[in-house]
Amino acid sequence: MRGIVYCWAAVIRTKLAEQMAYRSHFALSVLLLIVGDLVVPFVTLLVYRSGASFPGWTLHEALLIQAVFALAKGIAFPFFFGMVGTTLSQVREGTFDLLLLRPRPVMMMAMLTGFDPDDFGRLLSGSVLFGYALSGLGGPSWQSWLQFGLLFLASITILCAVSLFLSGMLFRWVGSSRVFDIFDAVTSFGLYPGTIFSKSLQNILTYVLPIGLIAFVPASSLLGRNGWGTLWALVPAAAFLILGAVYWNRMLRSYTSAGG
Amino acid sequence: MIEVRNLTKTYMTHERGHTLREVAKNLIRRPMKEVRAVNALSFTVEQGEMVAFLGPNGAGKSTTLKMLTGVLHPTSGEVRALGLIPWKQRRDYVGRIGAVFGQKSQLLWDIPPADAFYMNKAIYGVPDREYRATLEELVELLEVGDVMRKPTRQLSLGERMKCEFIMAMLHRPELVFLDEPTIGLDMIAKENIRGFIRSMNRQGVTFILTTHDLGDVELLAERVMVINHGEIVVDDSLSGLRSRLGDKKSVRLTTEAAVPDIARKGLHVLERIGPLELELEIDTSLLPLKQFIREFNEAYGIIDMAIESLPIEAVMKQLYAEGAVRPEPAAVL
Repeated sequence: MRGIVYCWAAVIRTKLAEQMAYRSHFALSVLLLIVGDLVVPFVTLLVYRSGASFPGWTLHEALLIQAVFALAKGIAFPFFFGMVGTTLSQVREGTFDLLLLRPRPVMMMAMLTGFDPDDFGRLLSGSVLFGYALSGLGGPSWQSWLQFGLLFLASITILCAVSLFLSGMLFRWVGSSRVFDIFDAVTSFGLYPGTIFSKSLQNILTYVLPIGLIAFVPASSLLGRNGWGTLWALVPAAAFLILGAVYWNRMLRSYTSAGG
Repeated sequence: MIEVRNLTKTYMTHERGHTLREVAKNLIRRPMKEVRAVNALSFTVEQGEMVAFLGPNGAGKSTTLKMLTGVLHPTSGEVRALGLIPWKQRRDYVGRIGAVFGQKSQLLWDIPPADAFYMNKAIYGVPDREYRATLEELVELLEVGDVMRKPTRQLSLGERMKCEFIMAMLHRPELVFLDEPTIGLDMIAKENIRGFIRSMNRQGVTFILTTHDLGDVELLAERVMVINHGEIVVDDSLSGLRSRLGDKKSVRLTTEAAVPDIARKGLHVLERIGPLELELEIDTSLLPLKQFIREFNEAYGIIDMAIESLPIEAVMKQLYAEGAVRPEPAAVL
């Protein structure tokens, strides 16, 4: 285990050095990600200013969901989602061979190789938005914070699992760069209060495709809208991660490399 | 060290033509075709050997190499290398092997090789003291002391390739796979790399090499396996491979009088370099050298002459011509 942590730290350090070799690119990427992630909250703000709203949700409550979403992405994207891009390019070029030649778990190597510090920009935009949303709400109780902490962990777990599914697909459907669009399309449901959707869709978004767990459920817990029973949502999150890992490893077997 | 028995790899691929109609048709239905990239290969490699895999593009060399490194699972057959099954015990196995790919870099483009070496140290779990000693030795051997602190993108191809070798050797592998390690390098860089490989081999490291550069084969390999259509068509020593041509020599001549077209058994003009200079191939079993020199000196007056064994290229050409090796379009793997 110590060896893995040491390896993890060394690769992250090297990847940081690699990403920061072009400082202007790094700064611009971070800035664009911050701006990009604030578009939906800005539209939400305009909607509320015009007098419309999500029924049963104040502006700050709605923004809290979007802030949690951005925070979750701010952690999941740098650490996990880079593997989707790594798989996309390296499987197509056949350079994924090099990861298989490392005496470490291939999944871990794929995640580490894809580590992308630019994406920490999302963490910054998420934190700013989170602070702003909380400023308009009463202080949550410690129970709400505890529930939120656990459910936020589930949120990261879901995003990690999604990255495993998307990355795994690319071993079979080589070069399908549209996987990122699939992610955006599916997860966009998670940016809004689940209660605006029909009950059946809400159930699908919680238990089948647990998109609601990314932001809506953790944010609701922080707002004190959920009881302790919501923690049952950790189960589908864990199941989703296990399924993602099994799927990724199965798809890895279909890797065929490229011409020599 | 390596035992391979009936190693076979097949895969499915699709084919289509280039017309718009065929492209559109291919979107709906893709006729699949099974390709047998490697067909029942069996061989063994002993510790300390330096073996070259030769063969035309798409012959199955790289696919074989990928199965031997544990990157690809075979369709059938067995491999035991270093006492392990490469694709089943991948993590233990790859920790004891090294690989250098002439066309796939393990370095990180934007940062110095020294950073990539440090990363590999952590990945392979090389202890600090061992890492420092090995790095020092390799850096000295390959003379890359200053180079390894410059960003990789600013290095010449030769410098980069030297650093690729350091990446592959830092964890002291017992077995190293080289896939076209000198591709694109100039003569000096090739010489350095070949010298390094020989020096590592003297220390007991086993090398498996695939290449199209027959210079690598002549200067490095003790044993040659020619692979085509996924099968081993020749497995011999380099001298054994040469002897397949019989007693043939290449003779380069400069004469006083022009040599006309000659139709004589055992004699074949390879190239006319100038009006008074030419290169001949002589089968000495049919025309002894002594007789050839006497006759040519009397007829045309020999000014200068160089006699050499036929280069390995000629051996390969002959193998192709005999149909032992039938080139085919490149396979996908």
